[in-house]
Amino acid sequence: MPPNGGTTCRFMRPRSLVPPTIQLGNSGIDPPAQVPQRDLIDAQMAFFGTGCIINEQVILQDQEGVLAWVSERLAVAMRQAEDLILRDYIVSAASQINAGGGSNGDNPTNLGVSDFSLVATTLDTNNAYKFMSGIEGMDRFGTGPVRSAYFMLSSTELQTDLDGLTGAGFLNQWNYPTNASALPSEYGSVFNVRILTSSEAPVARAASANGRDVYYNTVVGKQAITHINQDGYSMNLIYRDPYYSGMLAQNATIAVKFAQAQALTQDTAIRNLLCTRATNAFAS
Amino acid sequence: MAEYSRLASGMVTSVLTGAPTSVILPFIPNFIQIYNSTRALAVTGVTSATWMTDMGQGAAFVDTTSAGPADGTSFITTGGFSTFRGALSQQFGPVLAIASITQSASAPVVTTTTAHGLVSGNVVTFSNLYESPTTGMQQIAGIPFVVTVTGPTTFTIAFNNSGSNYTAISGSPTTPIPTVKQILYPNLYAPSVGFIAAITLGTTTTIQTTAPSNIQVGQEVAFRIPSAWGTTQLNSLPNVIIPGSPIYGYVSAVTSATTFVVQINSTGFTPFNPNQVFATFPGEQFAQVVAVGDINSGGYPYTGAQLYPSPAFYNGYGTGLTNSINGPSIQGAFANNTSMGFIIGGSISGTTGDTIFWRAYAHDLNT
Repeated sequence: MPPNGGTTCRFMRPRSLVPPTIQLGNSGIDPPAQVPQRDLIDAQMAFFGTGCIINEQVILQDQEGVLAWVSERLAVAMRQAEDLILRDYIVSAASQINAGGGSNGDNPTNLGVSDFSLVATTLDTNNAYKFMSGIEGMDRFGTGPVRSAYFMLSSTELQTDLDGLTGAGFLNQWNYPTNASALPSEYGSVFNVRILTSSEAPVARAASANGRDVYYNTVVGKQAITHINQDGYSMNLIYRDPYYSGMLAQNATIAVKFAQAQALTQDTAIRNLLCTRATNAFAS
Repeated sequence: MAEYSRLASGMVTSVLTGAPTSVILPFIPNFIQIYNSTRALAVTGVTSATWMTDMGQGAAFVDTTSAGPADGTSFITTGGFSTFRGALSQQFGPVLAIASITQSASAPVVTTTTAHGLVSGNVVTFSNLYESPTTGMQQIAGIPFVVTVTGPTTFTIAFNNSGSNYTAISGSPTTPIPTVKQILYPNLYAPSVGFIAAITLGTTTTIQTTAPSNIQVGQEVAFRIPSAWGTTQLNSLPNVIIPGSPIYGYVSAVTSATTFVVQINSTGFTPFNPNQVFATFPGEQFAQVVAVGDINSGGYPYTGAQLYPSPAFYNGYGTGLTNSINGPSIQGAFANNTSMGFIIGGSISGTTGDTIFWRAYAHDLNT
């Protein structure tokens, strides 16, 4: 969002026009004009930041270069915050589909291959754009072709359940014909869904109908969401020398701040696929 | 040294007798003090209380006054002060066992086996709502519901569970134990997806959600209504007139935290059906409404306080609207509603409407 542009970022999404499927005939009279319409989507910018106060004695005497590693941790914290904010926003704003293809008798059930088929079909029917083109099959043992796909962001805790779908539709990333386009966090694919796993994926503990943990798997098309930065304000690392603190200039500060907003730019192209696990046991 | 300390003060009104009252701050305090002028004038109850972080969450040093032997000073370890960070979703309060849930067309009564500690406006979710493998109300387990508190162990939810497919829960079932727990931060981001409790059809369509979704007038909304819930004609897709173009509606009135009117003529549409079949609850889909945009161009109206009011949201802490700590924005914009601060616990928050003056510090040094 440009500076001095207010607090709220506005997007425009044009609406479709009625396709002219009725022939003109030979009357010579033009058909009525259509009124172009658009939808507006607003997102409010929010500001975030955190920092550390470091005594000058630590900076002077610590053998580990404290400013360097604290800077690194602050950068990681900021990036994590960006992801967590977007994660929770999607949980809050996007509609959901409860998995029903599993067999654990819960609501939602554990993941079944039909759930992947359902969510991909839903997004396809809604004209969502897939993120990835397919991977053509190759003559390599144990591999199989990968379909063009949406991304699904899932919890690492679901990996055992995904492994359980091997042979029923799940293809581990290692069994792709080539790993060239696989992402580091990619665990595999089922039908038209490629699955990225993270330990920070959203989980609602003991929240299912039968009291199991509920996992939010975000299945997303290209045009579904946006993450907006404030121009000239993203990723500010702020170091203030001890000179600026107090009478004796004892304390340095190092901090990060950033601004971001987020919005569903196309609600029809995103779904949270909720599921439980086949069994709720988990070794921590 | 006061270089990095944080100091704040203010006044808050107690939301409900014996229930928590929250105060939003731009920091997490490690010292809190309150003075309840209403209790002092009434010469009964907690007139002041103090907390330091080393006392532990829920504690308080309490001054009480009364004409009787309760007059004096005491230290409590539960029901006092606590701090909160409303920043990450999917956080829940303690799990409470349910003794019974009645059937009602508008307000089923939930009775917990112990005091629930909720206030009206809190949002909860249920699990294990069955008495036998075929009876109960598992159909609504997993849906967020805003509560109206009617007593220390009772509250109501706004849903029609009077249908033939629901069975009342009674007698404190034990296999399994039906449970309820509070969703601590149900509206960190707004507007949020809403779960539909009822739809009134007509030339305009009135939607009642199970919990506040912070829909604004001018909001553009889309519906996701599974066929089992009836009113699929409202769904944004498919559109048989313009292939692939979602059908949206605009909100023309917001009549309560959970009710709004959409400018869609639904006359003749299939009635909404909350009477879901018990046996189909595994994998059951819920009827939902989501915000997809808005047509507003202005911010929140000036009401005599802030010159440029921040967005006001139902945040699950009570029944009223609370301004976010962010700046002004266009009404209906997707906005961040995260916050932090402290909670005045039910043992020290006085009675409904009490005036409580508070101050809170985050000290430079705590050893």
